[in-house]
Amino acid sequence: QDPTAAHYMFQDDPFLMPRNAANSRLFSLSKESGRNAAKYIIKQFPQYFDKTFAEPNIPCLMPETLTPQIEGVNEEALKERIHLRRVKDSVDLFDQLVQAGTPVSLETTNSLLDLLCFYGDGESTPEKEEQKEDLEEPGVQASEQKAPKRQFQRGSQSSGSRWRENNNAARIFKIMPERNAHSYCTMIRGMVKHRAFAKAYDMYIDLLNERHKADVHTFNALITAVPYLKERFIERWELAKVFLNHMAQQEVQPNLLTFNAVLKTLRRCGGVGRSMSPLVIKEMEALDIEPSLATYDHLLFIFYRGADLCPSGIISEVLDDIQKRSFTPQDPDDGMDFNMSDNLHCLSLGEKCCDLRDIKLAYQLNKAMEKGDNWKFIDMDRLNAYWSKFFSLLCMMEQIDVVLKWYKEMSPSLFYPTPKNILDLLQALDAANHLEVIPSVWEDMKQLGFNRRQDLLEELLSLMSREQHPDEIQLAFAKCAEDIKAVHEQTGREQTPLEWTASALSHVALLFSRAGRTQDAWYVNMMERFQQINRIPTDQVMDEFLNCAKQTNCPDEAIKLVKLAASLGLPSSQRLKSRTEEEFVLSEKQK
Amino acid sequence: LPCRVPPLLMPPSPQTRAARVRVGKGDKPVTYEQAHAPHYIAHRKGWLSLHTGNLAEEPGAAERAVEDAFLRRFFYGTFPGVLADEVVLKRRANLLVVCLVLARGLPPAKLYFLVGYAETLLSHFYKCPVRLELQTVPGKVVYKYL
Repeated sequence: QDPTAAHYMFQDDPFLMPRNAANSRLFSLSKESGRNAAKYIIKQFPQYFDKTFAEPNIPCLMPETLTPQIEGVNEEALKERIHLRRVKDSVDLFDQLVQAGTPVSLETTNSLLDLLCFYGDGESTPEKEEQKEDLEEPGVQASEQKAPKRQFQRGSQSSGSRWRENNNAARIFKIMPERNAHSYCTMIRGMVKHRAFAKAYDMYIDLLNERHKADVHTFNALITAVPYLKERFIERWELAKVFLNHMAQQEVQPNLLTFNAVLKTLRRCGGVGRSMSPLVIKEMEALDIEPSLATYDHLLFIFYRGADLCPSGIISEVLDDIQKRSFTPQDPDDGMDFNMSDNLHCLSLGEKCCDLRDIKLAYQLNKAMEKGDNWKFIDMDRLNAYWSKFFSLLCMMEQIDVVLKWYKEMSPSLFYPTPKNILDLLQALDAANHLEVIPSVWEDMKQLGFNRRQDLLEELLSLMSREQHPDEIQLAFAKCAEDIKAVHEQTGREQTPLEWTASALSHVALLFSRAGRTQDAWYVNMMERFQQINRIPTDQVMDEFLNCAKQTNCPDEAIKLVKLAASLGLPSSQRLKSRTEEEFVLSEKQK
Repeated sequence: LPCRVPPLLMPPSPQTRAARVRVGKGDKPVTYEQAHAPHYIAHRKGWLSLHTGNLAEEPGAAERAVEDAFLRRFFYGTFPGVLADEVVLKRRANLLVVCLVLARGLPPAKLYFLVGYAETLLSHFYKCPVRLELQTVPGKVVYKYL
């Protein structure tokens, strides 16, 4: 992999390559919005895009037929509209059919109920198309599109609508002449999805009274509804057990989603969760169900409090995980073996690795991510956050040459360092006494756009000016100081100049003095500037300046310094005066 | 006497006028592409549109020509004022690669917007994958002044 190239979605051109995380996000989003604009045009003017012959036929580029073909008030038309997800049209047609007295078959009514419960009485938008059988994962792409926020309710945030009292689904349900188990199940799932949990529970009681059997999806929905039905942890767990017992009684086989739903409920159960979840895992193993990433994620959450995780839709595919699944959840302090997570969770693992200070875990996680398709689980923003945490961990735990090697490889191609990363890097350099790398870090900082951040500038300046260094390095440091000075004074159109702080000012003065740049040192903040902004220079600064003046043999400067010290009323002015008199050859006038 | 029209009064044939920039006062900036006449193609110039339609017994040359004309107008309109040189079109099997040289007149975010838009729109229009490859230059690259 080329360490200097940006992600392949960007054009390979120096003007168009993003230099920091904000730009990379901006460019990728603007490209995506361009695509959306094109899709809008294509939908608005389908008549220009209807040529359908193409040598290798690419189905996704072909025009879609979204208008219903069959006209007339009959069941076929209703079925077609349901298939095309046109909620309002189907409801109207159904009403027309009922008023006309035509009997609508049970299956069609059930599929209409499915549609209504899925979309919760709102219209379906073209982006939300999914398999009809796949009604269990409504919120997957919505949660992927959302900014990283806490989502404690699966899918309910994707449709903001709540279940209204007498909406179409309930109405149709009531007027149905006969209902079978499927109707009840659909209603229950719809209610759970749209946050009408108490109603869902009542509907379930009705189902039991009618002596129907619920299917596994309904039970999954009910189990996820448990935290909203009861308040106390024990009661929640009891209710979940009730549902599971019913499942056993009705001979419904639990699947992966069931166990994940149970674990998700246990997340909201506090201490009960911690004790019960190992049992759940054992059940899963007994039934030979492979745990998915979400399972691991729920487990991690239950055992590592204080992590914010957002459960995305439960993935029912099984990963081939060749690493030994050696997790021992009973002992979280034991450097618990990491698990791979869903598309929002690698971040949490990174955090946990940081908390546990375990670099080996981080390396293992990295290796696991590189295997196969596992990178696809995490999107670009999260990827940057993940790498940034990884880099922080590296800076904390590893030797400096390893850190520098990773740094060179990873930025800017894999991730863009955050300010915290740069601070960590500076501290690592400090710890390893490698301060000569600082000018190149400053170059990177400028490129990343961090050259106006006060905290970074302070850190940089204090590191540079703490001790005397050999000459070339001192010159390089002075050059950095000059850049920083330019930042502070810049009167460009867009940016207001930064305020000087006392320490920054004194550091810059020191650096200039040490490098022998007397003029700059005098000009910069020298004393005049100090007076301007009402700050007092430290004694160290004065001494250094005097040294510098001695080196470059400018007695005038020394005298100016003494005058300034006297005018500021500094206690050291006397000392400075005597030093000046001894060290310089002064003419009579100057005395 | 046979009446012959003197050569100086013959109307100029189209072959001597096509794709040439006439010499002027010396203040007209001209790119390398524009400065060379069509008889320099394959000698000093390359082709602006590469496809196999013109090989022996290959079909579709006329369709490619029409598509090229449309694509050039499309890009001239989509990137208003920032196209620094002619659009180069390369067809590889099903894929259409469009190479543009742009001036840096628009901020990169807007350029990416236009790139995403153009790629998707043209893919759906021609039912084949379209890829844009951009290169930015500070300004139009002048070869000489005519």
